Order: sequence, then structure tokens, then C-alpha cells
Amino acid sequence: MNGGGAFLVIYLALLYLIAVPGLMAETFLGRYTQSGVIGAFKNFLGEGWSEGLGLVVVIVNIGLMSYYAPVIAWTIYYLAHAVLGTFYQPGFDPTAFWAAFSGSPLLVVGLHTLVAVLVGFVLLFGISDGIERVVKWMIPALVVTLSAVAIKGLTLPGAMEGLAFAFNPEWQYMTDANTWIAALGQALFSTGLGWGIALTYGSYLGESDDVPLGGGLITAVGNTSIGLLAIFTVFPAVFAFGLEPTTGAELTFVSLVSIFPSMTGGYIWGLLFFLGFLFATYSSGLGITEVGVTTVKEETRLTRTQSVIAVVGAWWLLGIPSAYSSEFLGWMDFMFGNFGLPLATLMILILVGWVIDSKRARILDLNHNSDVYIGSYWDPIIKYVIPTVMVFIMGYYFATNIEDPRAISGLALMAGLTIGSVLLMQFIRRGKTNEPALTPGGD
Amino acid sequence: MAETLTAFGWVVMLSMIISLWVVTIVALKKTLSEEDKKAELITKQGAIESYSPRALSELREWIENHPNDPYREIAVHRYNECVETLKEIDEPFYDWNDSQISDLEKL
Repeated sequence: MNGGGAFLVIYLALLYLIAVPGLMAETFLGRYTQSGVIGAFKNFLGEGWSEGLGLVVVIVNIGLMSYYAPVIAWTIYYLAHAVLGTFYQPGFDPTAFWAAFSGSPLLVVGLHTLVAVLVGFVLLFGISDGIERVVKWMIPALVVTLSAVAIKGLTLPGAMEGLAFAFNPEWQYMTDANTWIAALGQALFSTGLGWGIALTYGSYLGESDDVPLGGGLITAVGNTSIGLLAIFTVFPAVFAFGLEPTTGAELTFVSLVSIFPSMTGGYIWGLLFFLGFLFATYSSGLGITEVGVTTVKEETRLTRTQSVIAVVGAWWLLGIPSAYSSEFLGWMDFMFGNFGLPLATLMILILVGWVIDSKRARILDLNHNSDVYIGSYWDPIIKYVIPTVMVFIMGYYFATNIEDPRAISGLALMAGLTIGSVLLMQFIRRGKTNEPALTPGGD
Repeated sequence: MAETLTAFGWVVMLSMIISLWVVTIVALKKTLSEEDKKAELITKQGAIESYSPRALSELREWIENHPNDPYREIAVHRYNECVETLKEIDEPFYDWNDSQISDLEKL
């Protein structure tokens, strides 16, 4: 939809230029301060308005999860029907099935609530006993299930056309601002940069743990590797059955569902696909929600259980419109994915690059117990290159879409979030004059 | 709509596979073996040094060039801690040789 291989070339460049070094910076921030998002900002800038910059990251994170949760809910529903064999009944119509499901407020909001319960339940057990215990078998299982479906899809006659659609570059898209903003959004969305996840997980790392390789490179390329696997899983099968390559929910919940009944052993392939898809979305949901939970627990007097209820409750409530209307979900995705996420990323990287100073951060802490040595090339990438590239892409997008109401809304979202969060934290911390702690662990 | 994978399409696809899958596998293999080695050394000798020779020399240079930096104290503490550990342990984690270690002095 964005130039096939041309989009992927831009995406790959942004992955290595922005996401890999950016995730190293984000993970460093968490490990050094041993704090969640707001605590990390407080450690270097003191209490008050500056904590509002951390609050921006938390709000963007909750906003993202509010429309991500309904996607998990859809996956649960389709997995259940894959188990029941609904897609293989005579006269089954995937379009009508999707319309009936997405048009039923009781079902979509009910399943959205179920997702809240399932995510909240695991998070009650914490990082090691909750998230780690679930994710360490879910991710390998995800790779196995998607690989099995991809191999099946690639062996179908006509599969090559799907690969041609995904990988043949249409070079004219390289100069289109929409391709660049979409690639930037995708690079941030798929790697988790700017979500606060790397920062939060980093805050649980020990002093002897490595940051650059595990927190930076593997997080970025590992997440994207699953995305590449998904390309091999979806497009060959879609083209092999002569379907139009659609996007988003329609591609997964209508096009693919119509394919499985025609495949030999379709029941198994459909089951594996939705199982893998659920593993991917559910494990991400746990990581996303943990950002808010860690922060709320640190910054308030709430216990972990109360923090889980507060954060899950916040995105559950905020997510009801997205669960109810896929149009609203698409709007939220456009706003938070393309504008909220770059804003949150900029907040984190400006803190590391300019407030802490990237050179100081690298020499003092990034290379501390690291599995690979990170050289001085990293310093200007964090300080100048990433902010410049991101501001340029966003500026280019705004300049070429100035009359598009969505661009104006995106700009308003970024300005509103920043100003509102800063003022709110200034108000909450009024009268307090605590200085930055500067030391590791914030003490 | 394109029907076959063009030469450029092949290049993009193979570049994606190498830049993502191959890099992930190599990086995972490296980090798992390094973290195992760290755990093994910590169990055996109680501690490991925290900087490689290149990283420690860079830290020393930074400390010397930034006498008034607010983070200098933390940097000196980390430098001295690493030197002390290197002199105490039998087997370093990074590629330190005996002469490099004996030349080190605390700040």
C-alpha cells in the first residue's frame, strides 16, 4: 500500500538509524535510574513540570493500549471460532461474520473486558512470576506457529505473487511524505521505541546485565523479525487464492479467514495462525500495560494490585469506543501511532541526548557490563541525527498535508499532550523543590 | 500489480532476511553465551569487572577531561570499583591481559 519494497527499504533504514540506538538509550535510562517513566525524568530533571514529559510517555502508552486491547479481543474471538471449526461450515461468509461480530456491542465490549481481566491477572504476579513466565514460552510458540503457516503459504501455487507485492519496490513512493511518516510510525510501533516498555523493563535489569545488545539490537530486530515472518505468513497465501491484498482488520479477519477452508488441512493452519496471532498481541499487551503499572506504583501510594487495577481500568474505559467502532480505532491508531509515539520517543531521546548528554551516558553507563562496545558514533546519532530525522519527517508530512484535518489533529494532539502534562505535573508538585538525584537508582 | 519477484524485489527480500533474521540469531547467540559466561564467573569468583579495556580507558579520559562535571564522582567510583575488581579476580570477563591490569591505578 506504501510502495512495497520501497517502504521496506525506508523502514529498514529507520530501524537501524533510529530504533536500534534509540532502544539502547531508552533501556539505559531505565537501568541507570532503576525507575519507571516518570521517575526516570525526575531523576535527571527533579520534581515538577519536567515530570510532565514522562507523563506524556505514560499517556501515549495508555492511549495505544486502549485500541490495542480490542485487537486482542478480536483475536480471542476468532481463535475460539477456529477451534470450533466455524470457518469451515458450508455457506460460511467471512464478511458477514466479521460485520455481525464487530456490530455487536455486547460481544466486542464483553471481549474487551475479558482482555482486561486476562492482562490484569498476569500482571498481578509481577515481572518474573507474571510476564516472564508467560512470555518465555509464548514467543517461541509464536515463531513456531507462524513459521508453520508461512511454510504452508509459500508452497502454494501463486505464492510468488504475494512476495512480489510485498518486496518489489515502487520507487516513486520514496519521495512521498506519507510513506516516510508511515515507515517512521511503523518503525516505532513495531519495535516498541517510545512506548516506555524498554525503559520499564530496563528498570528491572541488574547492574551486571547488558543493555546495548539485549535492550537495543535484539529488541529492535527481534520484534521486526516477527513482522517479516508475518509478511511471509500472510501475503503468499492471500495471493495464492487470488484475493485482493487489504490492510488491517479486513486482511486478518476477513481475507485470511476465507482462505483457510480452501487449504488442505485448513483447520490446523487457521488454528495455528490465530494461536500465534494471540500470542503476539497478548504478550505485547502485557509489556505495554506494565509501563503504566510500574509508574503508578512508584509515583503513588497504590500497591501493585491497585496499580494494575487503575491502569487496566484506564485503558479499558478509554478503549470502549475503539472496541465499539473500528473507524474510531483506526483514527486512534493514526493519531497515537503517527504523532503520539514520535512525540514520546522525542521526549526520551532528548532527555538522553541533551539533558544527560549522550556521550556521558554512553561512557558512564551504556558500556558498563555491556556485551558489545558502543563507540562514539552513538553520541551524535542520539543527540542530533534521530531528533533531526524525526522532526524532518514529521515536518515534511505536515508541510505536504497542511490541509488534511488529520494532520491538524495530530499537531493538536502533540501540543495538547505536552502542554497539558507539563501543567498537570507542575500543579501536582507545586511547592516542592527537590533537585535531580543524578545518581544510579535515583538515591 | 506485479506478478513475479523482480531483481530489486529479490534484493529487498534477501536484505530483510539478512538484516533481521540473521542478525537476530547471531546477536541472540552472542548475548546468551556472554551472559552465561558472566553468570559462571560471578558464581566462581564472586564478581566481574564492569568495563572492557577500551571502555575503561575512555572512562578515565572522560574523568580527566571533565573535572567539574556533576557526574564525575559517580564516574570515579565506577572506575575505581572496576580497577579494584580486576586486581582481585583471577579470570576477567573482558579481554584484559596481565600487563594491562598491573598498569591500572585507582584515581
